[in-house]
Amino acid sequence: MSNRITLNAQAPDFALKDFHGQTVRLADYRGRKHVALVFNRGFT
Amino acid sequence: MRQLRRDYDEFVERDAEVIIIGPEDEAAFAGYWEKENLPFVGLPDPKHTVLKLYGQEINLFKLGRMPAQVIVDRTGQARYVHYGHSMSDIPPNEELLALLDDLNQGEQK
Repeated sequence: MSNRITLNAQAPDFALKDFHGQTVRLADYRGRKHVALVFNRGFT
Repeated sequence: MRQLRRDYDEFVERDAEVIIIGPEDEAAFAGYWEKENLPFVGLPDPKHTVLKLYGQEINLFKLGRMPAQVIVDRTGQARYVHYGHSMSDIPPNEELLALLDDLNQGEQK
């Protein structure tokens, strides 16, 4: 049904605006930090 | 989310940023972040572009999204991938932090 991310392969880059309107790209962190991406199940 | 908030400093110590992506809109994110005083990056994805790109699954019966976690290392590689099979199928932070420790140790070799 959907794409799944492959372990130990390049993670697809993306750009989204945060809720302050600033664009955040995954690639911005490359060479700087690890990133824990958490896909939310909804705010409770 | 509260677990992540509690352990956020542990992620920072391991040189990792925590980014939450969800289908809610900007206003819902802003409201929740303010209410819960959350320190991490929050990215509203109301068009579901990244949610689809990363294959987050929808549970049609429960009308909800299954949780998913991906750790991307400094080189841009996915080093941990977990797709939840139920709404409560979320790995403990200890598992994520241990993986970050391994990544950092690997870099020093």
